[in-house]
Amino acid sequence: MSVTRVFVANRGEIAVRVIKACKNLGIGTVAAVSEADRDSLAARIADRTVCIGPPRSTDSYLKTETLIAAAQATGCDALHPGYGFLSERAELAEACAKSNITFVGPSVDNITQMGDKLAARRIAQSSGVPTVPGSDHAKNPQEAVAAAKKIGYPVLLKASAGGGGRGIKLVRNAGEMQTTFGTAAAEARAAFGSDTLYMERYVGNARHIEVQVLGDHCGDVVHLGERDCSLQRRHQKIIEEAPAYALSQEVRDKICNAGAALARSIGYRNAGTVEFIYDNDTQEFYFLEVNTRIQVEHPVTEMITGVDLVAQQLLIARGQPLPFKQADLQLHGHAIECRINAESPQHGFRPCPGHIAEWQPPHGIGIRLDSHCYPGYFVPPYYDSLLAKLIVHGSDRTEAADRMKQALASFRVKGIDTGIPFLQTIIDDSDYRSGKVNTCWLEQKLEEYSTSHAA
Amino acid sequence: MELSEDDVLHILKLIDESKFDYFQLEVGELKITVSKGEPIPLAPTAQNVAVSQTPNPAPAQPPKSPAVAPAPQKEPPKPVAIPAGHVPITAPLLGTFYVAPEPGAPPFVKAGAEITEDTTVGLIEVMKVFSAVRAGVKGVVTEVVAQNGQFIEYGQTLFVVKPS
Repeated sequence: MSVTRVFVANRGEIAVRVIKACKNLGIGTVAAVSEADRDSLAARIADRTVCIGPPRSTDSYLKTETLIAAAQATGCDALHPGYGFLSERAELAEACAKSNITFVGPSVDNITQMGDKLAARRIAQSSGVPTVPGSDHAKNPQEAVAAAKKIGYPVLLKASAGGGGRGIKLVRNAGEMQTTFGTAAAEARAAFGSDTLYMERYVGNARHIEVQVLGDHCGDVVHLGERDCSLQRRHQKIIEEAPAYALSQEVRDKICNAGAALARSIGYRNAGTVEFIYDNDTQEFYFLEVNTRIQVEHPVTEMITGVDLVAQQLLIARGQPLPFKQADLQLHGHAIECRINAESPQHGFRPCPGHIAEWQPPHGIGIRLDSHCYPGYFVPPYYDSLLAKLIVHGSDRTEAADRMKQALASFRVKGIDTGIPFLQTIIDDSDYRSGKVNTCWLEQKLEEYSTSHAA
Repeated sequence: MELSEDDVLHILKLIDESKFDYFQLEVGELKITVSKGEPIPLAPTAQNVAVSQTPNPAPAQPPKSPAVAPAPQKEPPKPVAIPAGHVPITAPLLGTFYVAPEPGAPPFVKAGAEITEDTTVGLIEVMKVFSAVRAGVKGVVTEVVAQNGQFIEYGQTLFVVKPS
């Protein structure tokens, strides 16, 4: 379980984040880059860079054999998968184990169990964690219709091998089920290699709440509080906060304890996130899924706990026990993260790759920027559009939101369009400020914005 | 525990005669690391005694089997100057480069060889899977840049060719 030289099998801001965490711990780094990322910030700050393939991620960041060969050839004894790409594929963790490379993440068993969303649901149920009323494996449209009748429409038809907002279809009635079932099964087979489907009741007025957990090799598991990630667009989170501002302390405690209990029941190791849905109308919460990796929005938890989660990932991978107990962890203030994407709000939020002519991020007390961008950087068109995560911390939510408002206003980017103007309107919105939001709210705002700002 | 110079030399001799490439001995505060390859990076906090027997070994012979993994190369490849009027043949994928179809066989191409677009100029191995490298250019090989058994990155120059 040695971790002296880490192969960073990812790109963008998370590659930079991992390399910096390694440097702080005196650990060497090798950045894997595609041809399009040779000039990336990760390539500039890593001890060494290795070009693993052409720009397309299926020919580079998604090639397990290539990554393992490159890690071995460059003398790495550990591999950090970041998020996305192969981070939640058991095959990568397995390949690492076979090649004596320490995988900086959960065990192969953890990833396999939680990657099967239906199995995860059963595990949650058996460890006493509430799940959304729903079905087990629905084998055909007839079974699905019968089960949906009991659950009550509308329902979500979900691919067991999906997750992260992918492989989900909303079904409103039995007629729709007949037509949607076949499509959903075919899509799931093509996208995830398995057409196993199950159903959950659709919760319309919901908040997305997730619990950060850390587990070590000794079986100790702690939670680091929860995050509210209700502001989403097409199931992609845009603004995340910690703690979950609209929930009572009692509900928050219950959710966090449920998340930790679930992780403990499967002997979870390293960093993970247990996702829940919270029904605004009934004040009930339900387990959704576990993400077996570091999350994009991990900084908001770092800001209120003072714990460096990526450093903890590396230390846990090295076999060290957690340096704190649950009682040692205290939350301070409130943190908000805005994802700054390369997109054009004036043009229906279409992606906007290209040359960054000017890049002047905000600075100041309580402001943090996680980014791989710099003046003159060319944003390649091959990957996701995340440019930066702007994170602020305040003594309470109002102070944090005010700070975010100022930070967004002084963030200067030229050469490409970003989502900053839209984020500014959200941070100032009265519904946002008073916390009257749900997982559909941002979509409505987006539509309003696009209509009123159409160029 | 203390070791005399004779003890260390004795350990080195034993390792040299063994089939191991890497040896690490830790007894309390004492730590000896021996490698037959290139120097091993030291953990910054550990108190180490590093003895590298052959600091910069030049591989005297090509690897006995194409499947033998090369020693880790911790330095990036040096850029190759391409003379005017010449073009490089670059690696189509990352892996271990081989100049010949099997150990001991003559290389696919040598400097001076005339090649066409479809000439196989080498093999690249990733996890025991071998892929042929096509020249992709017609002309004469003027320089063989990549060594047999060398780890090569995607896009790294393998040969220099004067196109015809």
